[in-house]
Amino acid sequence: MIRLQAPQFITRHVLFALVAGGAGGVVFMFFLLEFDHFTSSNAFCTTCHSMTYAEETYKRSVHYDSPSGVRATCGDCHVSEGLIMATYDHTVGTKDLLKQLFGPKYDDPVVNLVHLPDAAFAARDWFRKRDSATCKRCHTLDAIQGTRANTAAIHQEETEGKTCVDCHYNLVHRKVPDRKTFKRDAWNAMVEQELGLAPGAAAKILAGER
Amino acid sequence: MYLTAPRRHRVPIALPLALLLTFSGAVLGAKVKLDPSSWGHPAGGDCVSCHEKASPGLAEQWHGSAHARAGVNCMDCHQADAAEPDAIEHEGQVIATIVSPKDCGRCHETEYQEQAGSVHAEAYAIIAARVPALADNLTGPAMQAAGCDQCHGSEVVVRGDGTLDPASWPNSGIGRINPDGSKGSCSSCHGRHRFSKAQAREPDACVRCHSGPDSPDKEIFEASKHGMLYAAQRDAMNLDADSWIAGKDYTAAPTCVTCHMGAAGKIPATHDVGMRNVWSLNTPISERQYLVVLEDGSRLELPADEKPPKRGSEVAKADGTTGKVKVVATPERRRQVMSLVCQECHAKSFTEGFMTQFDDVVELYTAKFGAPAAAIMNGLYGQDLLTPLPFDEPLEFTYWELWHDEGARARHGASMASPNHAWWDGMYLVGRNFYSRFLPEARAIAGDRAAELVDAHLETGGHHRWLDDPRQANPILGYVPSPQPQRTGPASDAATATEPAAASGAAAAESPAGPDVDQTAASQTATAADRPAQEAAAE
Repeated sequence: MIRLQAPQFITRHVLFALVAGGAGGVVFMFFLLEFDHFTSSNAFCTTCHSMTYAEETYKRSVHYDSPSGVRATCGDCHVSEGLIMATYDHTVGTKDLLKQLFGPKYDDPVVNLVHLPDAAFAARDWFRKRDSATCKRCHTLDAIQGTRANTAAIHQEETEGKTCVDCHYNLVHRKVPDRKTFKRDAWNAMVEQELGLAPGAAAKILAGER
Repeated sequence: MYLTAPRRHRVPIALPLALLLTFSGAVLGAKVKLDPSSWGHPAGGDCVSCHEKASPGLAEQWHGSAHARAGVNCMDCHQADAAEPDAIEHEGQVIATIVSPKDCGRCHETEYQEQAGSVHAEAYAIIAARVPALADNLTGPAMQAAGCDQCHGSEVVVRGDGTLDPASWPNSGIGRINPDGSKGSCSSCHGRHRFSKAQAREPDACVRCHSGPDSPDKEIFEASKHGMLYAAQRDAMNLDADSWIAGKDYTAAPTCVTCHMGAAGKIPATHDVGMRNVWSLNTPISERQYLVVLEDGSRLELPADEKPPKRGSEVAKADGTTGKVKVVATPERRRQVMSLVCQECHAKSFTEGFMTQFDDVVELYTAKFGAPAAAIMNGLYGQDLLTPLPFDEPLEFTYWELWHDEGARARHGASMASPNHAWWDGMYLVGRNFYSRFLPEARAIAGDRAAELVDAHLETGGHHRWLDDPRQANPILGYVPSPQPQRTGPASDAATATEPAAASGAAAAESPAGPDVDQTAASQTATAADRPAQEAAAE
C-alpha cells in the first residue's frame, strides 16, 4: 500500500505559504493580464491630455475607421504581444509617464508639436527593433492583396530584407519626415506658422525656455 | 563619391552667342559629355522592379527612353542629398520628387546653362509681382495653382513635414522656382519619363501654354503656311533623328523649335528660347531689345533705344541685385540669327521682306494704339481719376485686353504669318476696342479734361486723323449718299433708274430723307459708342 508521506520540511506553515503564494501568483497573473489589457486601451492612453493630439490624427486614419470594421487600438500597435513583453513595454513605458509628470508640458499643443518628431523617431525605432511584430498581428505578408493591381506582387517580390515600417510610416499620426532628411529649422518654422508664433519661438520651446 | 562627382568645367554661356555667326560646320545639340561610369546608380534596379508594378505606365515610359538605353536609371535623376530642402527618404534611399533643371544639368550641362536665365526660366519671376492682381484679387489663389502657375511655374513650397505644398506642386510650369533654387522645368516640354526627342520637337510640345487668347501661337502656327506644310509633310520631318539640323536633316517644314531653338545651317541649337527674338511682344508697348548676358549666366533684356551697357559694367537685374555684363547682343544681331534660320529655305530678300512686314505691324500697333493707350492710362492714374488698384474699374479690363490679348494676338500673328490672327483676331479687334470702348470710356472718366488727358495723346503721328473727315465715302458698310438735293419728281426717278447702287435699297434712294438717314446712323453709332462710357460713368 502506497502512502503519501510529505517530506519533513513541508510543515503546515510551508504548505499554507505555498497555497497562498500559488493562489497569489495566479491572481497576480490575472491582474497583469487585465492591467496590460486596460493600459493598452485607447481610453487609458488618452487620459493624458498630451495623447489626445495623437488621437486626433488616429481617428482620421484607416486604422481607426476601416471599412472591414477592424479597429486597431493604441496598444494593438504600440504594445507587444504576450504577457512578458507587454509587461516589459509597459514598464519601460512608465518613463513616458514620468516625462508627462515632470518633463516638458506636453499637454500644450506647441510643446507637443515641437517634440513630435522625436516621439516619431523613437516609435519607428521601436517598430523596427521588433521587426514590425505588432503590424503582423493583423497583417500577414502572404495574404496582402491590396486594392491596386500589383500590390500583392510588390509585397511578395519587393520586400526581402525589409520590415513593414521601413516603407509604411506616417500612416496614422501626423506626418514627420524620416530622421535622415528631417530638418529641425523647417519643422520649427512650420510649427510657428501654424500656431501663430514669432520666428524662433519654437526653438526656445524645444530648449525648455518659455 | 557618386553624389558629388566633380562637374566638368562649364561651357561659357556666351559661347553659342559669340560663335553664332562665325562657327563653321554644324554644331549639334550639345551631347552629354559625362563619362557613362558616372551613371547607373546601383539602387536603380530596385526602383524599376517595384515601379514596374506600382506605376507601370511610368516605368514603361522610362523603358522606352534613351535614358534607359544608356543605363540612366531613376536614382541618377532623383537622388538627393539629405540636406536638400525637398529630400525625402523613400524605400531606404534619399531622393527628391522634383528633378530640377539643375539635376538634369548634372549631365545636360549646356542645356542647363542655356535655359537658366532664358525667358522661359524667368517666366515666373517676370510676372510674380503682377500675378496677385488677377490670381488673388480678381479670382482666388486656387486659380494661381491651376492656371497661372501651370504655365509660368510655381514657387515650390516644401513644408516643414517634408511634403510639397499642393498649392505649388504638382507643377511643370516652365519658370518654376525649384527647392534647390534653380529656375525652370525641363519636363514642361520634355514629357517625362520617356523624354523623347521627337516629342519635344513637335509643335504640340509648346501648345499647353502657347495657345489661348493672349499667345495663340499654336493656332497661329497651324494657320500659317509653315503649319500647313508641317501637317501635310509630317512624315518627312525626321523628328526622331539624332542630328536635327534644318536644311540638312529635314526641310519639309519648320516647327516652333526650328526657329526659336533649333540648329539650322551654321546656327547652333540653343535652349535659350528668346535669344533670337528682337521684340518684346507681350507688353503694352513693343520695344526692340538688347540681350544682355551677365557673368553669372543670367540674362537681361534692355530696350534698344538706349545705349547698350558696356562689357564689364554693372547692371541692375530684375531681382534688385547687380551683375557684370559679359556679352550684349543687339537686336540686329538677334534678327540676323533668326533670319539665318529662315534662309535655310527662303531667299535673303524674301526673308527681309517678311521681317519688314512683321516689324511694320509691331510699329503700327505701338505707335497707333499701344503708346497712346499707355499714355492715356498713365494720365488718368496720375490725376487720381483711376485708382491705382488694378481691375476695380472697367477701363482697366478694356486696356488690359487691348494690349494683352488682342494686341498680343496681332503682333504674334504677324510674327508667324497667320493673316487671320494678325488681322481679324488681332489688329481689327485692337482698333474696335480702341475706338469703340477704350476711348469713350477714357473720355467719360476724364470728363471735362478729356481733351487734355485723352485726345491730346491721339495727335502724335497722325494715326487718328481719319476721324476728322466723317463725310468720307462708305462703301464698306453699304451706305451711299443720295445725289445732291436739287430734286424734283422726274429727276428723282431718273436717279433711281440710273443709280447702280439701287440695290442698297430703293426706299433709301427714293426717299428725300437721305441726310436724315445719315444723321440717324451717325447718332446710333454715337449712342453705341457712348453706352460703355455711360456705364463706366455710372460706376
